[in-house]
Amino acid sequence: MRQRAWGWNPAGRRRWAMAILLLGHLLWMALGRGASSRWQRLANLLASPPRAASAQWEAWKANRREKVSTLRQAQTDLLALRAQVTQLLTARAAEAPRVAEADEAIRLLGLKRLLPMEFRAARVIVNVRKAPFGGMIVDQGEDAGLRPDQGVIAPEGVVGRLWDVGATQSSLLPLDSYNASTGVMLARSRATGVLQGLGPGKAAIRYIGNQEVVQVGEPVFTSGLDRVFPRGLLVGYVSAVQPHDVELHVEVILAAPLDRISLVLILPAHPQMEIQPPAVPAQAPPGKQAGK
Amino acid sequence: MTNPSGAPLVRRFLLALLCLGGIHYAAPWPGPQAVLNTFLVLGLAPGFRSPLSGILWAAAGGWVLEGTLRLYPHLGGTAFGNMLTCLLAFSLLLRWPPHSLKPYWGRQAALVVIHTLLVHVSVRFAAGPHAWGTGWLWSLVLIPVWATLALRLHPPLHRK
Repeated sequence: MRQRAWGWNPAGRRRWAMAILLLGHLLWMALGRGASSRWQRLANLLASPPRAASAQWEAWKANRREKVSTLRQAQTDLLALRAQVTQLLTARAAEAPRVAEADEAIRLLGLKRLLPMEFRAARVIVNVRKAPFGGMIVDQGEDAGLRPDQGVIAPEGVVGRLWDVGATQSSLLPLDSYNASTGVMLARSRATGVLQGLGPGKAAIRYIGNQEVVQVGEPVFTSGLDRVFPRGLLVGYVSAVQPHDVELHVEVILAAPLDRISLVLILPAHPQMEIQPPAVPAQAPPGKQAGK
Repeated sequence: MTNPSGAPLVRRFLLALLCLGGIHYAAPWPGPQAVLNTFLVLGLAPGFRSPLSGILWAAAGGWVLEGTLRLYPHLGGTAFGNMLTCLLAFSLLLRWPPHSLKPYWGRQAALVVIHTLLVHVSVRFAAGPHAWGTGWLWSLVLIPVWATLALRLHPPLHRK
């Protein structure tokens, strides 16, 4: 039986394939002759999904690159900041003593302006106050005109007095030494007594009669009777009161931080008993100015 | 039992593949590129046993050639002309198998002219006027080379 030329047999299928191939090319050429804009639109339409996906992929990659670079930059900055913080902490620790001394100097300057006396500033170079018969040593001596029994004060309160004056240094007897005696008075009752040291940070007032009314927390000032300190300098606060025979046993906590003090003011020898407050400059009447 | 025509078919296939690669890589030299395309269309493709295989190779050569030329319209005109010329060459080989070299040269020269005209008509139909170039002249001048090679190394399978 003879096969049909364009039937469904191998030769026919090849013929159909060739015909489709030729007609497809012819159709493609014919369609391509017109305006290309519609094909471009069609191609753009078909290409838009992969183009959008590609854009998202590129954006994701750029975002990831940026995140990685930002993270690396942040890590670098963090390391630099840590090093900087360490340097600053070291510098602050190195500067801390000087800053503390500067603060104390500022407070001393304020005290010096408040009291109308001739002070001499000194630096405490040794503090062995807690040792037996210990004391404090300041960097001023006879070369600065110092003499024994000159009072020593700090912005917080009275510190003690000069005990022994050397050529360039002096030893200082703090208020809490067992052999220290200072004339004091109570703030409310104005009763006077003698402050004697009891050990680190503590002292007791002697010679206060039983009839006096003393309250815990009451301030204690210098009385000026010992001619070492003028009247009215803060010494401490009453911490305990107990009747003892004919007198009261009054314990005092000293106001001056003797453990951490580094700068002090040395009073002149035999100061006046009363301190006159500095004169307040007269204010010009309102509406008038000086020089007019 | 092995197919006695298998080995030449494979060689023809490999040579056609080399021609396709040559067309692609000969893009900077349009003359040799046109010779390779003509050799593929008129020398190798009609030699396959099936005309479908032949026109597929011819179409592939046309598309590769159009793809390598940037200023050439990529609308299949060259492939269409290649396929028509290949079919014509295939039918000539079937009807009048070649027996000697010089008549074969003359037939190939006529086919080169027809191929050139068909390709340019197709391209003009698809994309409008375009430059002809000198590729057809290269193909004509080098007929003694590529046609002799096609007949000596790879005679058409229909002839066997």
